[in-house]
Formats: sequence, C-alpha cells, structure tokens
Amino acid sequence: MVGSQKHAELSTNSPKPMRLFKLTFSTIFTRKAWVICLIAILLVPFVLPEISSASEKPILIQPARIQAAWATLMICSLFWGLYSAARLGESNAQSGTGEYFRTAGVSPTRQLLEIWLALFCFIVPMALIATGICLFAAMPSNPAEQEMWWVLNLQFLVLFLLVIGPLLALACSLASRFGGISGFGVTFFLWIYGLYGVGYLDNMLKLEANAALQAIWLYSPQYRFADLTQRLYFKTGALSADVFANMVLYFSAILAIHTGISRLTFRTSATA
Amino acid sequence: MTSLVPTINFNSGLAIGYKDPLGTFNESVSLEGGTHFLIARNGRGKTTLLRTLAGSLKSLSGTFKIQGFLQYLPEDMRFDAETTTKTIFKALISKNSRAAAFDLANRIELDLTKPYGKLSTGNRRKAALIMAEFSIDRNEPNILLLDEPFSGLDAFARETFEEIWRESSENVLRLVSCHPDYESMKMPSVLMIESSVISHHNESGQHWSALKNMLN
Repeated sequence: MVGSQKHAELSTNSPKPMRLFKLTFSTIFTRKAWVICLIAILLVPFVLPEISSASEKPILIQPARIQAAWATLMICSLFWGLYSAARLGESNAQSGTGEYFRTAGVSPTRQLLEIWLALFCFIVPMALIATGICLFAAMPSNPAEQEMWWVLNLQFLVLFLLVIGPLLALACSLASRFGGISGFGVTFFLWIYGLYGVGYLDNMLKLEANAALQAIWLYSPQYRFADLTQRLYFKTGALSADVFANMVLYFSAILAIHTGISRLTFRTSATA
Repeated sequence: MTSLVPTINFNSGLAIGYKDPLGTFNESVSLEGGTHFLIARNGRGKTTLLRTLAGSLKSLSGTFKIQGFLQYLPEDMRFDAETTTKTIFKALISKNSRAAAFDLANRIELDLTKPYGKLSTGNRRKAALIMAEFSIDRNEPNILLLDEPFSGLDAFARETFEEIWRESSENVLRLVSCHPDYESMKMPSVLMIESSVISHHNESGQHWSALKNMLN
C-alpha cells in the first residue's frame, strides 16, 4: 500500500505487534522499583495499624487499614507511577527509540498508548490489591453493610483508575517534550491540587467571593470527589447510581481533555 | 501483489537541509536491494538525508518515493541502562528469529546477560544492529537506514555484518552512512554529498581509496 506526504511517498509500514509495549513492560519489570510499591501495598495496611494508636482500640484497626491501603496506593502511584511515566516519556524521545519506532510504522499516538499501557499494567494490579485488602481484610461484619462495601470499593477502584490513567499519559507526554522534571512536577502538582487544593479554594470562596478564584475553581480538576476513603472509613454507604454515573462522566471528560493534551504534547524525538 | 524489491527513488530537485539546503539531487537516482553507502565529510548532511527519508524531517523541496518496510537506526540510539540485551531482544525480536539473533550475538561476542548500560560503545552498536537486522520481515521488501553503524565496531563484527548484508541483499535495501577507515573497502554503490550536491556513484570495482579524493 502506498501513502503520500507533501514531499514524500512512503510505503505504509505495518507495525510489528506491540514491540514498544513489550520493551517498556520489560524495562519497568527489570528496574524492579515496582516491587517496593507492591511490598508496601501488601504490608503497610497490615503493619501500620498495628503500630499506630489504632492498636489500642481494636475497633479502629479496620478503618486504619482502609486508610493505609488507599493512602499507600496513592503515594505509590503519585511518586513511582508519575515518575516512571515521566522517565519513560523522556527516554523514548531522547534515546532515539521513539524515532526508530516511528519510522518502523508505530505512530506517535500508538507509541504513547503502548508506553502508557505498559505502565498501567503495573498500576492496575496494585489498585486491585488495595481494593482486595479493603474487601477481604476490612469487610464489615454486618451482612447488611457487606453488599454496600463491595459496591463502594469497586466504585473507588473505577474512579481511582479514571484519575490516574490520564495523569500517567500526561506525565509521559509532557516529559517527552519538556523533560522528565516538568512531566513529573506538573502532574504531581495537578493531582495534589485536585485532591486538596481545590478544597481549600472552595473554603476560601465560601468566606469571600472572588470572580477570578471562582473561575479557577470551576475549571479545576476536582480529584477530591474520586477519593472515597472517608466514605469507607465512616461506612456512609456506596454512591447512588446516578451520582456515580455523573462522576464517571465528569472524570471521563477530564480523561478526554488530558488525552487530547497528551497527544498534542507527545514527541517521539527530541529534535524535530 | 506487492513487489519484494525495495526501492528508494530520489527525484531530481530534491533538497535536504534545515534552513539552507545541505544537499540537492541534480538528477534522479533510484536505489534497489543491496548495500548503498552514504559518504560525506562531517556536517554535510548524511544524518539529515537519512532523517528526511525516515520522515523525521521535511525536505526543503522536491520529492522522493520509498517502497518497503522502513527502519531508521539513529547513531545515538540507546536502550534502558539496566535492561539486559537478552531482555531487549526478547521484547523486540520475534520468536522465530530470536535463536538466530542470540547465535549471532554469541559469534560477535556480545554479552547478552550484561545490562545495556554496562556495554561498551561498540557492543551497544552491535545490539542495535542485531535488533534491526532481525526485525526484518523476509516476506516483504525492507529498507534499513543505518547512521554510522560501524562506529566503535571491531573488524570481526563489521565483517560479519557485511557478510549478512551480502546474503540478504535481494529484499533488503541498506543505506549506510559511514566514514570508511581502510582504503580497500569495496563500495560499489555510493551516495556522495559534496559541495551541496548529492550524486550517485556505482561501479562494481569501486573502492574507498578512489572515492575519498572526491570529498573536499
């Protein structure tokens, strides 16, 4: 098949299946930093409550475990996940591999997807383990609460993945263009701001109206809505179907925006 | 049905460069399967020409046509420092070709168990070359654009690759930029960039000793 460009006619390269995904997956696997995250996610929810003040009140052990499980997952995703995404994006652009794969028929969109997918394959099991710990090691004894527990944990899992997924892609693509520090720094700030900053902004606006701050708040990613730890902690029940659907829609819209920005920013080579 | 013969057609008037042209084809040139060398002095546009063919850069004017599965191996291409060459090959080379790739690596003394970051420059070049050579699809025409593949390579490895190139010259077109280091090196087909003109020199008995005097 023959395609055409402005100055060149190229036979269309049919890319070999998922070579960049395999290379990225192998690279992450070889570097072994994921093992530290895995061990932390497996151990911290069990060890931390035992050495904290919760050990004096057995009734607090389970809530402490829930908090530890999700907090460890978020810290691992925040530091290891975003850092790895930024390093992979930067390395792909600067090491010549991005340029090699592009000439071998792997488009920039596909490169971003394959790098992202390789990293996501490590994040998903970690999220599943954290959810599993909440489900099986912190399940309420009341049978009426157990069904709600399943639903709430799965809702948390879905929202967490919807938040972290696009941030990983954004870290990777920003790093490919502006360097690893920018890729990591921007997405790290964005997540922290979306989790805590917008809450403070909200409180400030309640005390004093300000049109500029209101506009910033309005267009800020409200990641705090995806953090259901407090609902788990206080057993306030699962989100109703329509609220959950709205949240999925909201975070899907952010996903779409971040995907667009990521694709526009992503570069396969340092020099054009 | 697609022809198995890989081709690159440079049309007359094709100019490569950034702002100002580094090289222009004053007449059309057609390359087919086999090894074609690209020679010029430093900074005269060898990498620019390869990157233009690879689609990384746009030509300043003119057109070219490429027929074949394209791979461009940049001179400074590198992999993750902590990953072993064996892992890299397992990820990038298909199962059918992997055993042959490992065999070649052993023959040219490339340690597959060493992390890539601990390999010497020459061994890194070997790893990249093996990866590209064994990513070739035997059932379709292939084009390999190799930027300075010989830099850092020992004579034995170089000869081994040249032998492989001769054996697979039918459905693989290799355009190899290089700075030959021995006078008797056979160069039957050469693209030369000199005084901003890109010309094709193809004579069966052509050697580097005769060509180097044409480069100013």
